[in-house]
Amino acid sequence: MAEVKEVAKELSRKEQEIRQLIKAEIPWEPVGPTPMPEIPDLRSWDMRLLKTYKPWYAPFCDLCCLCTYGKCDLTQGRRGACGLDIATQQARIILLACLMGCSAHAAHAGHILEFLIERHGPDKKIDMGTFIELEAPNIRTVTGLKPETLGDLKTVIEYVYKEITHLLDSTHFGQEGSYLDYESKALHASMLDHVGMEVADIAQIVGFDFPTSVADTPMIDMGWAAVDKSKPVILLIGHNPATSCTVIDYLRENDLYDKVEVAGICCTAIETTRYSDRAKIVGPLSRQLFFIRTGIADVIMTDEQCIRTDMPIEADKVDSRVIACLDKAMYGLEDATEWDTEEIVKQMVEDKKHFAILDPKKAAEVAAQVALKISPQRRKEWISEEEAKELAGKCTQCDMCERVCPNLLGLGKAMKDISEGNFDEPRKLFNKCIGCGKCDQECPQHIPILRVMQVVASKETWKIRAGRGAIMDTEIRNVGAPITLGTIPGVLAFVGCSNYPDIEDVADMVDEFARRKYIVVLTGCAAMVAGMKKDRDGKTVYEKYPPDFDAGGVVNVGSCVSNAHITGAAIKIANIFAALPLRANYEVMADYVLNRVGACGIAWGAMSQKAASIGTGCNRLGVPVVLGPHSSKYRRLYLSRKEEDDWRVMDARKREIVDTGEPSPEHIAYVAETKEKAMVMIPKLCIRKNDTPQGRSIKLNHYISLYKKYMGGGLPEDLHLFVRRDADIPLVYKKEVRVHLKEIGWQPKEPVGLPTFIGTYPTKVPLEAVIH
Amino acid sequence: MSAMIPFHRVNVLTGIKSARLIEDASQYANLIQKAKRPLLVLGPLLSEWSFDGKLLIEYALEIAKTANIPICATDIVKGKMVELGTKPDSVYDAVEIVNHLKDPDWKGVKKEGNHDLVIFFGIRSDLEEQCLSVLKHFAFNHLKTMTLDKYYFPHANYSLPNFRKDEQWKAFLEDLISELKKGG
Repeated sequence: MAEVKEVAKELSRKEQEIRQLIKAEIPWEPVGPTPMPEIPDLRSWDMRLLKTYKPWYAPFCDLCCLCTYGKCDLTQGRRGACGLDIATQQARIILLACLMGCSAHAAHAGHILEFLIERHGPDKKIDMGTFIELEAPNIRTVTGLKPETLGDLKTVIEYVYKEITHLLDSTHFGQEGSYLDYESKALHASMLDHVGMEVADIAQIVGFDFPTSVADTPMIDMGWAAVDKSKPVILLIGHNPATSCTVIDYLRENDLYDKVEVAGICCTAIETTRYSDRAKIVGPLSRQLFFIRTGIADVIMTDEQCIRTDMPIEADKVDSRVIACLDKAMYGLEDATEWDTEEIVKQMVEDKKHFAILDPKKAAEVAAQVALKISPQRRKEWISEEEAKELAGKCTQCDMCERVCPNLLGLGKAMKDISEGNFDEPRKLFNKCIGCGKCDQECPQHIPILRVMQVVASKETWKIRAGRGAIMDTEIRNVGAPITLGTIPGVLAFVGCSNYPDIEDVADMVDEFARRKYIVVLTGCAAMVAGMKKDRDGKTVYEKYPPDFDAGGVVNVGSCVSNAHITGAAIKIANIFAALPLRANYEVMADYVLNRVGACGIAWGAMSQKAASIGTGCNRLGVPVVLGPHSSKYRRLYLSRKEEDDWRVMDARKREIVDTGEPSPEHIAYVAETKEKAMVMIPKLCIRKNDTPQGRSIKLNHYISLYKKYMGGGLPEDLHLFVRRDADIPLVYKKEVRVHLKEIGWQPKEPVGLPTFIGTYPTKVPLEAVIH
Repeated sequence: MSAMIPFHRVNVLTGIKSARLIEDASQYANLIQKAKRPLLVLGPLLSEWSFDGKLLIEYALEIAKTANIPICATDIVKGKMVELGTKPDSVYDAVEIVNHLKDPDWKGVKKEGNHDLVIFFGIRSDLEEQCLSVLKHFAFNHLKTMTLDKYYFPHANYSLPNFRKDEQWKAFLEDLISELKKGG
């Protein structure tokens, strides 16, 4: 294993404090250069990244309106009253988005940690199972601490809180004035997001006994039709499993689990099914409002993140009851946490009231009792065809629904079709609906469009594999070599929300790449929608492909916070396979991942601020991310210009800087307009400079064949940039590529033995640190 | 000049500077013909949209041919062009071509210098509006933008109005082709 030498110098008081916090005296690895890094500590790495992958800004607005000097016009080179220009304002907004995302996960982690420490005590050991010794790759890499107990995780999350405060401070009036520095801060916040997510999920795995060290997790029923509406239904929405797991406990302990149906939407659904495989998953975020409006849920329990903020209003419309279970979203409801249970139940049943109940046990008991009492009296019928036709018939084709639709859908045509009893086209359109309900409120005829769409909503059910948590160390040992050599063409992570152009896109892409023997991992809403399509044999991708982190495997890692296991897997490759020390050694890990691990994230429906920070955190670690078209509204991408940018790297074996001219990876945050183009870009973004000839030829084979499939034949315009020697050319295209290369005067290049950015920019990391 | 609200509300302008609305095809033709190095950026919706069975990409190709404008094919447009027996001058995605265009020193798709007029056509409207925003804010000194889509795009320099009917849009495009031919 390569050694990172600790610099002998007198430590400042702050450094001593950090060493104490990370238990530096425990010599599991030498402490690297950046334990618990602060804003400036990884800045030089960021600046190196941003030199090649320059920020691309698409301002949403011309103005800044964040202080009372404004509104300030920032068009045509103008600066605001504080001196800020339009680029820096965009970077500031991006930092704010990343901080929102990071703090959502960090606060989730903090809450669940408190809950579980209360239950198990701070000394509860972290045990991730037989096959996971490297339990916390993000935490170890970023902080330098090897967490052994839940109490250790508290130390980590307190570090994250502190950094969030400093970062948020920088967005105040009259602080940072450089867009590059704001980007560096956004990258810092987003790296911390992965630390916070890792804290949350390790705590959950340990505290709730979620699956770990296992690939073959249970298959879960998914889809609204999977929910038995003849029973009382408790619907859990959000991300935090404290409440949902307590509900399951209560039902089990009181022999009610057969009598009450438990279902979830968004990540809480995934978490709940990691606790009980009998719970049902309704679907992703985009199905939230639609399902609520069916009235199938008797009691809706909300926790945090991505829940409708008008939940009590929506629940009133269908006579459901709401319990707000976390302080982050209390909707102005009366706090009944200290009340007598019977009184709360009485008021919810008789007076149809909603409450905030912040004690999970009490909330669980109330939910079960209320659901049992009100369910028999409630109407839970889908709309009839006749009713749908009658309502749709009121449509005057004014187009207001289409005008406000974030997915730009032609809903007027769908209403016309439905009114005429033609359901095929509206059925396809419903797959594109992101479920915001803006069309309903805009309709001058007051047509309840989402309710009308019930008539075309599929009543199918699907199977999804329960989230399995971290990738096992044993799996990494098996695939580390083929990934870094390129013979497994890439690791693809489908993540993010459900703001898709079409809900079936993710399933299609997963199928395409699993078939091509990429390793496919998924989380959150993306994991759900990947399972919402069946092949001709009636199988979803979870039934069709093995659950292993191996070529052709389709792996549901878990919820949003499980995204940390994806970046964690990339770090594990550097640490376990390449034997590079990771302790407080972020720069070395990120450099390895960027230059040698063919991984690519696909956040096709990215919508939330959490998705912004998850993606940006991947970027700092060197993982490129492909985004769907909506994501141009994040306002910032990181793009290169392949023909002109700086593709020099250090060849660490020869100790010389080499101008490779090879744009690998070409971009690190990129938007594709269609899934077809995304599928052409993805294999290209998995190319790395250290690919062996065999590995490169496999990767180019996929790039060329997908290009031919979707781009009308021919060869990619930039193919020559990725062919180093004749051996790189895929056998099946050998003749055609050779002719093409000859025509354009291509010359062979020597592959780089050990490519690294270290040595190409000012850094404290010595070149020896990347040689393994 | 105009307080026109774009058809798709996601594109509503929060700002100062909005596109000049032009309904007269001859004005568009004049602007195109005055440009020294125009560029036509085509999007994948051109293979989906049609007037009476004629795909809009055919209109786009006719405009390009008539006015001798080079084409940048974004997304999977190249495939359709090949199918129609022609090839684009360059292939970049929407965000990539915009990334090049905002650099005043870029040599352009013909290597003759950066473009001074960029005409967008057939990209989904939210993405197109964001791409126009990039150029509005970061390329205002060296190029102008124009759209040929059915609806109004505030971040462009020149935009069509929100045509209520396809027939109006079709008539505009046909008039534009005629005007360009006249200028020929």
